[in-house]
Amino acid sequence: MEGAGPNSNDRAWPEQGSARIPYWVYQDPEVYALEQERIFSGPTWNYVGLEAEIPNPGDYRRTFIGERSVIAVRGADGAVNVLENRCAHRGSRICQDLAGNAGSALMCPYHQWTYDFEGRLTGVPFRSGVKGKGGMADDFRLEDNGLARLSCEVLNGVVFASFDASAPSLADYLGPEMVRYFTRVFDGRALRVLGIQRQRIDSNWKIQMENLKDPYHAGLLHMFLVSFGLFRLDQESFMVMDETRGHSCVLSKRSEAGEREGTEDVTRFAADYRLEDARLLEPATEFDDDITLSIQTIFPSIIIQAQLNTLATRHVIPKGPGAHELVWTFFGYDDDDAERNTLRLRQSNLMGPAGYVTLDDAEALEISQIGVDGASPDAAAVLDLGGRDVEPTDHLVTEAMVRGFYELYRDLMGYA
Amino acid sequence: MSGIEELRRRVETLQIDYVQCIDDGELERWPEMFADPCFYHIVARDNFEAGRPIGVMRYESVAMLRDQVTATRHAAMFAPRTIRHILGGTRIVGEADREISAHTNVAIYQTDADGETLLMMTAQYRDLIVEAGADELRFREKRVVYDTLLLPDSVVYPL
Repeated sequence: MEGAGPNSNDRAWPEQGSARIPYWVYQDPEVYALEQERIFSGPTWNYVGLEAEIPNPGDYRRTFIGERSVIAVRGADGAVNVLENRCAHRGSRICQDLAGNAGSALMCPYHQWTYDFEGRLTGVPFRSGVKGKGGMADDFRLEDNGLARLSCEVLNGVVFASFDASAPSLADYLGPEMVRYFTRVFDGRALRVLGIQRQRIDSNWKIQMENLKDPYHAGLLHMFLVSFGLFRLDQESFMVMDETRGHSCVLSKRSEAGEREGTEDVTRFAADYRLEDARLLEPATEFDDDITLSIQTIFPSIIIQAQLNTLATRHVIPKGPGAHELVWTFFGYDDDDAERNTLRLRQSNLMGPAGYVTLDDAEALEISQIGVDGASPDAAAVLDLGGRDVEPTDHLVTEAMVRGFYELYRDLMGYA
Repeated sequence: MSGIEELRRRVETLQIDYVQCIDDGELERWPEMFADPCFYHIVARDNFEAGRPIGVMRYESVAMLRDQVTATRHAAMFAPRTIRHILGGTRIVGEADREISAHTNVAIYQTDADGETLLMMTAQYRDLIVEAGADELRFREKRVVYDTLLLPDSVVYPL
C-alpha cells in the first residue's frame, strides 16, 4: 500500500522501525485524532456486525467506526446498507437504540427529516412552507442532503464498511491467506447470534489489537490455558500475516492437560489444576482439521476468535487515547444441534468480561496503559522476540505480528 | 405477619447473606447458597429480553460455581478491588410447586486499588428459591439481569 504522506504531528519513529513502539502512540490526543482521519475514515475495512442480527427489512444495528456513529440497516430489497447515523440537517443522531427496527424509513426525531434505507432524503416537513409562507430555499434539493453512505461488503455473513471509496475490495484488503482463515470460520453457513457483551477497557485501542498478536503472553499469563493444555508455546502452531503485515492469524493445536514439557519457563502453571465440573472443557471437534485455536486479527479493529467450540467476533471501538470499548458477539451456526449449542454456552465462560482466559487480558491491558501514561512519550516498547523482522513463522515464540501491525499503521499514518 | 410478608422476610434474609458473603470475601460460602443442580446467569438486559443465552457467567451446577471460586482465588490475574452490593427490597412475584419467584433490585459498586469507588452496574436479581430443609432457603436459579450494557470494567467476582 502506498504511504499516506507526511503526518501532521511532526513525529519521528525510532530508528529500529517497528521493533520499537514509541509511547506517544498511546498517549497523544493529536495522534489519536490523526488515526480517526487516516485509519478509521481511511482506506480500511471495519466491522459493523453480523447479517444475522438484522434479518428483516428495517432492522438496524448501531455501532461505531472509530468515533463515527454508523448503522447497518436491512433494506426493503434485502440488501444490507451502512449509513452514517447523523442527520444531514443539523447533525442529530438519528437511531438512538443499539438495535431495533426502523419501520419503513429512517426518521430523525428532531425535525422528522426522513430517509430511505439507502440514505436518500425522502421527506422534509414544511418543505413548501405553510399557507404560502416560509419553506426551504428555492435551490434546496433532497438529492444534495442524504446520509453519508459507506462502502459495504458482506463476506459470509459478516458486514464490513469503509468511509473511503478508494479502499481496495475487501478480498484484496484481506489478501488470500486471510480470506482462507476467515472463511474457515465463516464458511457460508447461516449464523446464529448467541449474545452480545460490551465492556470498557482503560487502554489504548492498539494495545488490545497487539494483545491478540502476542502469543508470548498467552503461554505465560493465562494459567487456565496453560494448565488445561488449551494453549502452550511448545504445542504445534504457526502464524500467518497478509502482505501488508497488518492482519494476522494464530493457529494452534491443543496438547494434553497436565503435560509438563514446555512449561519450565512458566511460573503460572498448575499441573494438578482440575475442574470439579469437567463439562466446561469437553469440546467436540469443530472444524475439518486438527486446529483447536484460531485467533485472527483484521486491521484496524476486528478480532475473530475460534477456540474449541466458542466462536466470537470482538470489535474494538476507540474512546480517546486511553480507553476503548470491546464488543463481543458470540455466535454459532444455524444448524447447530442442542448439544453443540450447549458446548458453546459452557465454553463461553472462558471468554468475555469475566472469562477464565480473557479477564487476565483486560487487566493486563489496563496495567499497560497505566504504566505507559506515566512514561516519557519518547520511551518505547521493545519488541525483539523472534528477531526484528515481520515474517510468518511455524512457531509462536515471536512478536512479529505486533511489529507487522505497526508496519501498516506507520504506512497509513505517515510515520516513516 | 402475613404469609407473603414472612416469605419476603426469609428471602430478603437470604439475599442479604448472599451479597455480604461475596462482598466480605467469603467466596467459598457462595456456592453453598445454591441448590444442586442450579442455574446461575449474569446476563445483559438486552440479551435477556431477546432470549439470547450468552452470559458473562453461565453455570449449571454447584461444582461449576466452586470452579469459579477456585479460578478467582488461584488462577486469574487482576488488579486488586472490592465490590459492594446495595440491595433494594424484594418483591415476591409468585410461589408454585414449592419454588418462590422473587425479584430484587441491586446496585454494585467497585473500589479499585487506589481506593476510588465507581458504580459497576445496576441490575435485578430474578431468582427461583427453594426450601433446603430446616428453615433454610437456597437458590435454584439466580439471574443477575444487568442494565449496564456497557460494563465499565471486567467482572472478577460473582455478583
